Amino acid sequence: MKLQLKLALPSNLDEGFDLNYRNEDQEEEEDCRLMKKKRSFDETFEEIKNVEIPRTLSLLDHIDLCDEEDGVVGWPPINSWRKKICHHHHNRHGCNATMNYVTVENGGRGGSGRGRSNYMYVKVKMEGVGIARKEKVQGYKLTYQDKEGDWLLAGDMPWGTFIKSVQRLKLLRNGH
Amino acid sequence: MAYSFPEEVLEYVFAFLSSHKDRNAVSLVCKSWYEIERWCRRRIFIGNCYAVSPQIVIRRFPEVRAVKIKGKPHFADFNLVPEGWGAYVYPWISAMVRSYPWLEEIKLKRMVVTDESLELLSKSFKNFKVLVLSSCEGFTTDGLASIAANCRNLRELDLRECEVEDLSGHWLSHFPDNFTSLVSLNMSCLGSEVSFSALERLVSRCPNLRTLRLNRAVPVEKLPNLLRRAPQLVEFGTGAYSAENQTDIFSNLVEAFSGCKHLKSLSGFWDVDPAYLPAMYYACTGITSLNLSNATVQSPDLVELIIQCPNLKCLWRERELIEDMTTQVLDYIEDAGLKALPSYCKDLQELRVFPSDPYGAEPNVSLTEQGLVTVSAGCPKLQSVLYFCRQMSNAALITIARNRPNLIRFRLCIIDPQAPDYLTLEPLDTGFGAIVEHCKELLRLSMSGLLTDRVFEYIGTHAKKLEMLSIAFAGDSDLGLHNVLSGCESLRKLEIMDCPFGDKALLANAAKLETMRSLWMSSCSVSYGACKLLGQKMPKLNVEVMDERGHPDSRPETCPVEKLYIYRTVAGPRVDKPNFVWTMDEDAVLRLS
Repeated sequence: MKLQLKLALPSNLDEGFDLNYRNEDQEEEEDCRLMKKKRSFDETFEEIKNVEIPRTLSLLDHIDLCDEEDGVVGWPPINSWRKKICHHHHNRHGCNATMNYVTVENGGRGGSGRGRSNYMYVKVKMEGVGIARKEKVQGYKLTYQDKEGDWLLAGDMPWGTFIKSVQRLKLLRNGH
Repeated sequence: MAYSFPEEVLEYVFAFLSSHKDRNAVSLVCKSWYEIERWCRRRIFIGNCYAVSPQIVIRRFPEVRAVKIKGKPHFADFNLVPEGWGAYVYPWISAMVRSYPWLEEIKLKRMVVTDESLELLSKSFKNFKVLVLSSCEGFTTDGLASIAANCRNLRELDLRECEVEDLSGHWLSHFPDNFTSLVSLNMSCLGSEVSFSALERLVSRCPNLRTLRLNRAVPVEKLPNLLRRAPQLVEFGTGAYSAENQTDIFSNLVEAFSGCKHLKSLSGFWDVDPAYLPAMYYACTGITSLNLSNATVQSPDLVELIIQCPNLKCLWRERELIEDMTTQVLDYIEDAGLKALPSYCKDLQELRVFPSDPYGAEPNVSLTEQGLVTVSAGCPKLQSVLYFCRQMSNAALITIARNRPNLIRFRLCIIDPQAPDYLTLEPLDTGFGAIVEHCKELLRLSMSGLLTDRVFEYIGTHAKKLEMLSIAFAGDSDLGLHNVLSGCESLRKLEIMDCPFGDKALLANAAKLETMRSLWMSSCSVSYGACKLLGQKMPKLNVEVMDERGHPDSRPETCPVEKLYIYRTVAGPRVDKPNFVWTMDEDAVLRLS
């Protein structure tokens, strides 16, 4: 069965109530592109890779092993009760589960006390792709744009200063 | 002229109708049936607290005794709904206090409940009997103290996975000495220690107690005393199930458990020491429900325990009870453990396997798709599955579908988003397609793994009874969403995260949204402009845009909104919105941000 999606229907409400009859779409898209040049860093569609900063910036700080900020918010679909059990269990087994640092220099990797490779994932919007996805931090270097608009390598300054001046973050593949 | 039965006769007949669907159907027959029915309806279920207002409910149903209300959308369980979103129960309670003085029962799910609400309800409803709070938050143990102190006829106090601010365990001591009506107590989600002597006295003086679910803070040494005082228990949840000094405790436990000849359900088992599990064996012959999802028990011990429960199954009851009558385990059970299940538990109806280490990059246990395939082959009554794993194949899914066409709930979570069939590296479209094609009575489906628009074609074509669908990281285009909305005739709840669905499918199927309870879309590509249009054209829907980046007017109309929650309502836009939620309607378009 082939289902055809109609892009424009008459505004007759009896016919399946398709609201797709706006033809101002094209103009709007152009406006959007123009306005992007004036936009600040909180626009939706970035044209470069960037890191979606969790509210608490916990990615760059201590990270609970079972803290969902490790990956995509809402994934995997486990409620907070189940996460607590997971967390308690790892603690109980003597793992260094509450401290899981991501360092921001090249080749930084998240470590866990369990002695096996355990990658840190970040949620990123990749260039040209609409959906955010998880990417391993390894293999990328973290750069940031400061208040003056200059792009710098993260890790070269004290945390407090960094936090006050950072405007955007960008992950670049190693070698770029 | 049509002759009709006298009202009293109709009322008598209607009293036999317990299902909400039946009652709703009856009320649509004619005006006089509507009138008779509304006066004799005693139980109401409100699937979305914002779909209707307390005033409208009370006006229509003046003689209600039991209320069940659900609040936040399901994805709130996974932290997708920020704090302060809403679902406050207080307006409901204060309205019902005035109009339903004889209210006996309140059951809430995903709502914000304050101590003030609890105190008000405890002092206002003289015949109050049942309080069930599921995944609720906003109250402290002081609120529980009010319930204990004031509800003289309380039968059930059931706190399931609630976020309670635990000020102290003293609340339990507020049950008066002459209080004896308790039938069910579930305090498993509380953290702090209650007074054990108060607990023992309470258990002793309540001869009808059949359900007791303790919290983690009750140590295993306290269990024998409690069990001895309540040998009539049918459902029991332990606290932490381990201790240092072994011998005494073990023999006491054996004795206490063997005295409990009516046990059907076991749960709890935090911090379990496998050495103590055999103490329960004497109680296991009648067990039909085992919840070991807190128990980090390794496979062999688990299998031993399950072997001891030959009657492990589900009794068919009301749908909400069935969720208790399950086997719930962590994936420590492994494929080997699951292989043993069919031999010993032929009557198994529901299986839930949770991950012990969901954030680790590598699997820590040997649990694969094979475990589920084996159970699907060997348990002919299996109808409900929740399964977390790290790999899946189309072949396995097709086998499961063919083995178990009687599945009604199938929720599969492959931990790595967009993971393909691990054998062929193809999308899992045909696998899930087989599930919807063979399982014709499927009511609920959650999918994961690599999925293209094709899987939605299958779903739209076959999943005619499907009521709830959960999707993440799936699909390629709006055609996917269009297939679901236009094909799934019974769809009531649709929740979508991180899928490339935009405006077209949503706008083309706007009318469908009025036939559903709700639609959730987060991290998709629905534009602000489309939301506004939908809000304008569909007055019977609340189209709520949730965006923590600030008012969507500060971004172009074509920019996608962060989160979208659409639900049908007769109550109009809600008045308790936080500052990151906006209702799209005529006014919103004109209003300045």
